[in-house]
Amino acid sequence: MRAATKTDATNRKHAAVDWQAVHHRLEAAGAAIERQLSPAEVDKKSLLKSRATSLAALPPKSEAAEEYLEIIEFQLASETYGIELRHAVEVSLLKELTPVPCTPAFVLGIINVHGRVLSVVDLKRFFDLPNNALTDLNRVIVVRNDGMEVGVLADTIHGVRRIPLRDLQPSLPTLTGVRADYLKGVTRERLIVLDADKLLCDSKIVVQEEPR
Amino acid sequence: MTSSIGTKIGSGFGLVLLILIAIAAVSYTSTAKFMDSAGWVAHTYEVLDNLAGFMAAMKDAETGQRGYVITGQDRYLDPYRNAAALADQNLKNLRRLTADNAVQQRRLDAIEPLVASKFAELQGTIALRRDKGFETAAKEVLTDKGKEAMDRIRQLSGEMQDEENGLLKQRSQEEEARSQATKLTIVLGSLLAFVFVMIAGFVITRNIASPLKSLSGAAQRIAAGDLLVDLPPNNRRDEVGVLTQMFVRMSQSLKQMSVVAKQIAKGDLTVELAPQSEKDVLGNAFVAMVVDLRKAMREIGEGVDVLGSSTSEILATTKQVTTGAAETATSVTETTTTVEEVKQTTVVSSQKAKRVSESAQNVAQIAQVGRKSVDGTIEEIARMRSQMDLIAESIVRLSEQSQAIGEIVSTVNDLADQSNLLAVNAAIEAAKAGEQGKGFAVVAQEVRSLAEQSKKATVQVRTILSDIQKATNGAVLATEQGAKAVEAGVKQATQSGDSVKALAESITEASQAATQIAASSQQQLLGMDQVASAMENIKIATTQNIAGAQQSEAAAQNLQELGQKLKHLVGHYKLPASESKALAMRAATGN
Repeated sequence: MRAATKTDATNRKHAAVDWQAVHHRLEAAGAAIERQLSPAEVDKKSLLKSRATSLAALPPKSEAAEEYLEIIEFQLASETYGIELRHAVEVSLLKELTPVPCTPAFVLGIINVHGRVLSVVDLKRFFDLPNNALTDLNRVIVVRNDGMEVGVLADTIHGVRRIPLRDLQPSLPTLTGVRADYLKGVTRERLIVLDADKLLCDSKIVVQEEPR
Repeated sequence: MTSSIGTKIGSGFGLVLLILIAIAAVSYTSTAKFMDSAGWVAHTYEVLDNLAGFMAAMKDAETGQRGYVITGQDRYLDPYRNAAALADQNLKNLRRLTADNAVQQRRLDAIEPLVASKFAELQGTIALRRDKGFETAAKEVLTDKGKEAMDRIRQLSGEMQDEENGLLKQRSQEEEARSQATKLTIVLGSLLAFVFVMIAGFVITRNIASPLKSLSGAAQRIAAGDLLVDLPPNNRRDEVGVLTQMFVRMSQSLKQMSVVAKQIAKGDLTVELAPQSEKDVLGNAFVAMVVDLRKAMREIGEGVDVLGSSTSEILATTKQVTTGAAETATSVTETTTTVEEVKQTTVVSSQKAKRVSESAQNVAQIAQVGRKSVDGTIEEIARMRSQMDLIAESIVRLSEQSQAIGEIVSTVNDLADQSNLLAVNAAIEAAKAGEQGKGFAVVAQEVRSLAEQSKKATVQVRTILSDIQKATNGAVLATEQGAKAVEAGVKQATQSGDSVKALAESITEASQAATQIAASSQQQLLGMDQVASAMENIKIATTQNIAGAQQSEAAAQNLQELGQKLKHLVGHYKLPASESKALAMRAATGN
């Protein structure tokens, strides 16, 4: 059904409504819905079959011998970032974020993940990127190192990707600032891969109690 | 002759009367005698009749006896039985009737014993016959005793008869002589009377009639008014003479009175007249007339003055009346014209009012129809409103359902997100697991792609939901607008209904007012008609008034002239000094 725009309204003013056509359309739509919701046995079977077939399909031949990186791709502000999968523990929802006073700006607060208390770090503030508000789509990537476990705030998780190492370039001239220190590389698609190690070992990330 | 006329005439009449009396006396006595003799004649006839009756009775007795003797039958004795009584009766009558005639009495004396013996004989014979039979009876009869008695009776009866007849004859002779004498007396007497009457008449005529004739001629002339009669004087001392003298005197006095009358006629009321005597009716009347005339003249004079002044007043008044009536007439005419105009106006307004009333009725009907249609409209609008409400409800339900769908979608989205997260975590674990985890990684990838698809589907659904939301909002807006329009429509319809009602009411009022106007116009018309007719009447009355006033004026004029004439006439009469002075004084003071 099309949205009732102003032109439609004006049209209807000038032309009498063809109620017959409307009824027909309603009936057709209703029938379509019915078919979709409770499809006939035949349709069900065919659907399931196609699914099974696709599932049974062998996975594409992995590109052998090439080293690639498995990263979690996520969004921060207007840029796409990635963190190596080996560093990531899990991805969690941002729920019950508790702000902690006397902490630097990039520390948003603490959350509870599976009984563990983790601090959430907003890399945007860390990298002095333009800020945006927290939404429900925000995810926390739990990144662990030997000593540190930190939750990294991500605007959105794009997914897990494999990136061939050769695609990774050291840097781009446009990338400046703090980020440059923690880069692992950049892809042609301007995916910035962060070095989680460097991030976690940095002293700046360690929060000291600041004087008021 | 010195005796009066009466005596003369009386004596003449007396003589004639005497003669008449004489004749009458003679006639009377003769008539009396006639009657007397007639009585005697009748008496005689009666005697004869009785005699005959007596004889018949005797015969009857004899016949009866004879019959019985012959037949021996009793019925033959009937005449015999009656006869005895009859005979007796007749004899008694005869006795009575002939009481004055001694001879007849003697005869009767003789008859009676004979009758007795006859009857005895008859009786004896009958007895004999009865007892002893026919032969004995016949023998007795043959003795002739009966026959002799009968013969003797017959003879006596005959004598009596003759006697009576002789008397009759005698009387008739006397009668005749007497009648002759009477006739003679009457004739002579009449002749005598005739002669005397002739003489008397002649005397009277000469002595009385001719002077009377001359007197009557004079009287006729006097009656005709000619008083210049001259009667010859005479010195007779009877009534005629007296009459003549008196006539002369009367004519003299009449002449005198005629002279006086002439004077009065000339207008000289100063005459004096002395009546002949107390009983002089004419003289007294003349005197009274003169007095009355003087008085009348005086009063007439006064009256004429009053008449004159009244007449002038009347004239003045009639003039006023005439002018006033003329003015009234003009204003009446004006009023009539105005009334006519008003009438016209009234007619026009009445017609207009009628038309207004008719059109108001039409409008009222139309308003009724309008009302009905407005009510219908309101009903329709109410239906529309309820439909709108239904639509709004459906839309709200729709919105709620979309909201529900949205929630479901968001749940699905959540699920998809969580699945995605799960898939990511699974991928992480798979990566950690290394080689063994590759299959798991594929599964995780599949899960992720499913989650992605779900998310895409939810996005699509979200888009569609937002479309639905927009459409719903649009529908709600349209419905709201529709509801507002319906409200406005209801308000409009109600307003229309109210204004139609108000219109109908005001039309009804207007119609009623128009009807009232028409009615009052009608009444006004009637009133105007009445006013017009009243005006007409006033006009007629005014015209009559004018005519009457003119007549009054003319009459007043006549009266005035009459007054003048009367004055003139009254002035003609001369009154005695005292009275005329008084009259002059009154005239001077203007009484």
